[in-house]
Parts: sequence; C-alpha cells; structure tokens
Amino acid sequence: MAMFSQNPVLNGPNYSFADVPVQDHVDGFREHRFNPYTDNGGSTLAIAGKDFAIMAGDTRLTAGYSINTRFSPKVFKIGGSTSTQDDANILLSVVGFAADGEALKERLDSICKMYRYRHNKPMSVSACAKRLSTIMYQRRFFPYYVYAILGGLDEDGAGAVYSYDPVGSYEREQCRAGGAAASLIMPFLDNQVNFKNQYIPGSGVGHALQERERQPLPRDEVEVLVKDAFDSAVERHIEVGDGLQMMIITQNGIEEKILPLKKD
Amino acid sequence: MTSIGTGYDLANSIFSPDGRNFQVEYAVKAVENGGTSVGIRAKDGVVLAVEKVITSKLLKPGANKRIATVDKHLGVVYSGMIPDGRHFVDRARDEARSWRDTFKTPISTSDLASRMGGYLQAYTLYQSVRPFGITAIVGGFDSELEAPVDGEVGTGPSVGAGGKVEGKHGGPGLYMIEPSGMYWGYYGAATGKGRQAAKAELEKLDLAAGTLDLKEAVKEAARIIYVAQQDNKDKEFELEMTWISNATGPTKGRHEEVPKELKDEAERHDTITALLVERESKPNIEYDSQKVRSRLPFAMNAARLMTHA
Amino acid sequence: MDHRPQHWGRPRDDVYGAYDASYMRPNGPTTHTQSPVVTGTSVVALKFKDGVVIAADNLASYGSLARFPDVKRLRTFAGTSVVGFGGDVSDMQYLDRHLQELAIDENYTSEKGHTLNARNLHKYLANLLYHRRSKFDPLWNHLLVAGLDEDDKPFLAAADLLGTTFTSPSLATGYGEMLAQPIMRRYAKDEEAAAQLTRDQAVDIVKECMKVLFYRDARSLDTYSIAVVTKQGIDLKEDVKLENQSWAFADRIKGYGTQTV
Repeated sequence: MAMFSQNPVLNGPNYSFADVPVQDHVDGFREHRFNPYTDNGGSTLAIAGKDFAIMAGDTRLTAGYSINTRFSPKVFKIGGSTSTQDDANILLSVVGFAADGEALKERLDSICKMYRYRHNKPMSVSACAKRLSTIMYQRRFFPYYVYAILGGLDEDGAGAVYSYDPVGSYEREQCRAGGAAASLIMPFLDNQVNFKNQYIPGSGVGHALQERERQPLPRDEVEVLVKDAFDSAVERHIEVGDGLQMMIITQNGIEEKILPLKKD
Repeated sequence: MTSIGTGYDLANSIFSPDGRNFQVEYAVKAVENGGTSVGIRAKDGVVLAVEKVITSKLLKPGANKRIATVDKHLGVVYSGMIPDGRHFVDRARDEARSWRDTFKTPISTSDLASRMGGYLQAYTLYQSVRPFGITAIVGGFDSELEAPVDGEVGTGPSVGAGGKVEGKHGGPGLYMIEPSGMYWGYYGAATGKGRQAAKAELEKLDLAAGTLDLKEAVKEAARIIYVAQQDNKDKEFELEMTWISNATGPTKGRHEEVPKELKDEAERHDTITALLVERESKPNIEYDSQKVRSRLPFAMNAARLMTHA
Repeated sequence: MDHRPQHWGRPRDDVYGAYDASYMRPNGPTTHTQSPVVTGTSVVALKFKDGVVIAADNLASYGSLARFPDVKRLRTFAGTSVVGFGGDVSDMQYLDRHLQELAIDENYTSEKGHTLNARNLHKYLANLLYHRRSKFDPLWNHLLVAGLDEDDKPFLAAADLLGTTFTSPSLATGYGEMLAQPIMRRYAKDEEAAAQLTRDQAVDIVKECMKVLFYRDARSLDTYSIAVVTKQGIDLKEDVKLENQSWAFADRIKGYGTQTV
C-alpha cells in the first residue's frame, strides 16, 4: 500500500520542489502574461547650486539579486551637436527600468539635436524640461518606467534641476534623489541642502524657534555631500554600489568624475 | 531600317507582319553601344569584368561600381542603359531575398536567371512599357557543400530520411539575359560594344574543356576587355572585375571584387602591354597618355622597357 | 450536384451538423509569445587582451526534455562578430535569418571593410528587442554580442528580451549569471584586468565555466561551441567536448533525489 501512495513522509519526496500545483486548472484559466518591465535598481541624485548643477548616479545595474554590470552610467549629456556630446548644455539622469531609460535618453537627445540643427542654437534647459514632460506624458498609458532628473544652467546662469515622475509630472527643485535609494538619500538632502529641521540655537522655544537661514552651498561642499549620500546609501541598499558617476555643469562646460563605491 | 514608317515599331505588343518585335530589336541596339561586359565560367569559379567608360574627368577613379552583388554568392554585370541595369539589380535582389524568405536557402544561379528572364520578358508584352535596354550577365557559385538551411541549428540526420543526397551538386553558373527575356547558360559570355572581339577571344579559350582555373580566368577576362576595347580606343575606361570561387577558394563562395594585387597583375599581361605600346605610338589618336601612365604604372613601365630593349 | 460552391469539399450538414467556419474569420485575436518553448541555456563570454571568447552548449531543451542535442547557438555575423543566443530557439532562428539578410544587404555596397561592427550590431539587436517588447510581442532571447568596436578594441555586450543592454569585461546569461560570472570575475574584475588576459588564459577560464555549468545546470550539455573573435577573424569550433570531468564531488552531496540518508 505504501509503495505507490503519494505520501512523501512514507516514501520520500515525490517532487523535488515544494510548489507543485495543488490542483489542475481543468476548467479555470491559466494566465501567462509577458511583463514588459523590470527594475534595474540604482540611484540618482541632483543638486542645483548658485552657478552650477551636479548630477550623480551609481553605476551598478542589477537584475534581482544579480549584478548585470558594475559600470553602466545613468547620467547623460543631452543635445550636443555630435555623438561625442562635447558641446552639450543639458544633463539627464534616468533610473528605474534601464531599457526605457536608454530609449528616453535617445529620444530626448535626438529631439534636442534636431532643435539645434533647425534653430542654430542649443535648447534652453527650461524648454527641454517641458519637452521631456510631454515626451513622457505621450506614453501615459504605457509609461517609460523611469525616474528622470534634468539638470543644467538657466537663463541667468543659475543651476537648475527638474525632477519627473514616470508619466511626466515635473517641477524645478533645489535638489532631488531618485531611484532605489531615494527614500534614504532625500531626507539627508532635506536636512543638508535645504536645512530642514535646523534652527538657530537659543532663538526661542516652540513656534518662536527661528529656522537657520538658507543659503546656496559652494561646489566643493556639494561634491562631498553627494559622495557622503552615496556612501551611506551603499551601506543600506543592496542595489546601489560599484561606482559613482558625477557630472558637474558650470559656465565652463561639463566635467565628469568617476569615483569608487563599495562593490559588495 | 525597313521597319521605319510602317508603324510596327511604335509599340511593344505589336508584331510586324514578318514576326518581329521592333521595340525589342531597338533595345538590343542600346546594348550594342554600351561598355563591354564579359563573364567567364572557369572550372572552380566565375569572373565578371566590365569596361567602365569614363564619361567625365570629374568622376572619382575606382568609385561608382558597375558590377553589383545580388546575394552572397551572386553577381551581375550588364551593358547598355545603366539606369535600366540598376533596376534589374534591384529586382534581382528582391528575387534573391524572397527566395530565401520562402525556401530558407540561397537562390541558385539558374533560378535567379530564370526569374529575371521572366521579368524581362514581361516588359516585351505591353503597350505601356518598353523593354530593358540592357543585356545582363549573371554569375554565381552554388555551394557544393551540404548547404545548411538559413537559420538551421543542427546538422540533421546523417543517413535515412533527411540525410545527405549522394552525387555532385552545386558549382559555378553563368547566364546571359537579353532584352527579349531570352537567357542561356554559357561557359563564356560577352555583350556590349566589343562583344564580337570578346566572343572570338572567349572561343579560343576552350572553356568547355573545364581546364581553365579561376586565376587564369581573371587574367583572360582582363585581357579580353582590353582587346575588345581596341575598336573604341579614343575613349578612356577603367577595368572592373569581380569573382566568385567555391567554399575553399579565395572568396569562400562569396561574390567579391578581385583584389587589387591580382587585378594589377592581370593588367600587366603581355597582350595588354603590347596594346598600350601600340596605342601610345599612334600620334593621331586624341588620347591623354599622361593619364594612362598614372593609371597603369606597371603596364606602362613594362611597355617602355620593352620598346627600349 | 450541389450548386453552391461554399458547400463543396465540406462535411454534409445533414450528417455532421452545421459546419463551424469560425476558423476562417479574418479578425480573430492575434497571439503573441507569452513564454518560450524550446530553449537554450547559458551563454558565457569573456574579454581578453586582443579579443573576446564566447561559448554556449549545443542543447535545445523542451522543458526538462533534452530535445535537440545538436543545436549551434553561436552565430557569426559578417565574419567579424559573434552573437550567442540564450532563450527561445525559434526566435533565435528568426533573428539569425534576419541577420543573414542584413549581412547580404550590407554587402551590396562592396566597399571592403565597411560593414557593421560589433557595437553597431549590438545596438541594432537591442533596438529590435526593445521594439518587440514594446509591441508586447517579445523575442524571447537573452543574447551576447562579441567582436570588435570601431577602434578594433574588444567589444562584449548583452541585450535581453526587454531591450535591457549592458556591457562588462565578462558576461553570462541564464544560469551562467549565477555560476559562471563569479568565476570569470575572479580573473577579470574590471576592464584593466581583462586587458591583461591572454587568449589561452581566457579560453581556459571559459572552458572551466562550461564545465561548472555542466555539473550544476540540469538543462546543459557536455558538447558545446566556442568562438574566439580577434582582429584576425573568428575561430569558431562547434563540436567541442568537455574535458577532464570529475564527478568525485557528487559522492559528498546529500539530501537530493531519492537519497534517504
């Protein structure tokens, strides 16, 4: 009797894995569906200064628990007149689903290039920001699964950062963190860039307490801030690490820095 | 011509009372004025060559190729109206591609010739069209190997159903297609202005014996183009040559341009050298000998050495 | 005789009941691949000093059935690049035919040495895969492209069915991602380290990976294809057998299958 019984306790395991179907779907429907999205992890960060803007991102690309590559940059120069992008005036960072990010970048870049060829001048950051919003909203019902941040210098030469949700809602901000470790980095930025929860000691009690006055940070401090933010994120988020790519845009052009991050 | 004024030459699809289609015959006339094209079917490959007439000194030497690739293993050269030839090539490429789409295997040279013959013939039937003003030479090498189907992943059974077919298959193929749509397979084919001289030279080669190999064929093709050019020697020209060998040969079964070294060597042929010497010695021919000297340094230097010796 | 042509050649209604002509409707639902059917497993590849080594075994599986044991999953392009396919074999064949056609078209302009390099080819395939995923009709493959870039430097990159692309000194698809990639990363942790490897070293490392994969991946085979792409061209071997296997470790493995102790 025990010989052919289906009782694994008596006869040892009948299946090599536990999640065998409990019952056959004879009359029910079995749904197979292709999922066109995935999350490739990673994190981005942008801070606007008085006369500069910094865009940064880690360079890890993941699929589940696997690291696809340790070097896949997330920050791109946009709208230069050639493929080398030497004369680009806009930066774009994308994080989320990498294939959509790449497609969005290529799309925005070719639009900016067409603008440059047609008008014989580069697109302004504010115009590009609006255009990016419309591109993303065009795909409202099959969105680019991407958290994008656009950076550059505005008409007055001040640093400008625009942040987006996946369907194109956007606003200009002083700073923004995006992607996997956004929730880890953003509160740090609130405190260190916008001086949230910082008060002048001894200025009063309760509502009388005076907030510390906000002032733009100098470039060297911001660079350290970015590195600290990512070093902290790497400690606490498995999808962030390997390398830190930083692009700094100033009146003199765009400078790129690659720094190491922990590879664990 | 007797036909002129009778009205039977005004359109396709009308026969003259003695059974001729004059439009087709006029198309042949267009071919007879074009630069000479030659094809040789050697024992292990095919050579295509053309006398490319230089119509302007402003054209870049070596650019504007006249011989076209249709599929990996197929090439086409033609004499006559070049735009008609270009369209012929476009159509041949479409045929080769659609053959691959349906049969998942490369089109054979004979099948391509058949398809193109049918296509040209259709242009002799209707009022609304005119025949092609070209005669095309189609050369190819059908693989002698057990050719894999495009996208095939395994080697298949070695015996039994689906196994190898015994016996020889594949090999070089050469076809010439005329404006009427008529096509035959040839050992050696020539068309264009110098076809008579070229054919006479080809006949001397005894190609049917199957002894001439590909490299010799390249040299002969070059020589024949120069010989055939003799009646037309006030015109400048460039020699253009392509070849197709079997899978183990120099082109690995592909249609490719003859490498520069081999082409230069072919152009140093004794006959060619002699022709160039003779040409330079004739003062009454309007000919830019300086140009030739720069274009054919080897041939000319050799020629000069011979005359001084 | 029945004079209504629409009845000719059909079962008689009075005998078999009303004929169901629904299959002839031109506007039925279109169906797309929702899961792969016959599949190939891992592809592994590693860059070295002056080229790339790439390997994949010769098996196409139908679920757990080793269905086709003679399937060549490395495909060459224009004599300069190699594409290694993991995933659905029918989609691989479709892509292979597509690439053949592309190579022929590129060849129309007979200018020598002017064809798509590995970087161009990878971008092309990635765009094709992304386009198809965006139509919800994916090509179910994860592929590696090995070759040289525009500066004749070694090039290796991956593209998957979603259109995700990435490049790295070593790459592997499927189980190779878990099993082979850590081994290769030990020897080529970054581009600089890979640029130190010789051809023989790289081939040995990849062969070692194929062995580990055969030991541990149940959908793998001990016959495989391996290609080395360099400036000199492609050296492709399609019937290589795993050498120096040792199953001594199997004795020490407990707790699987029908073992009771």
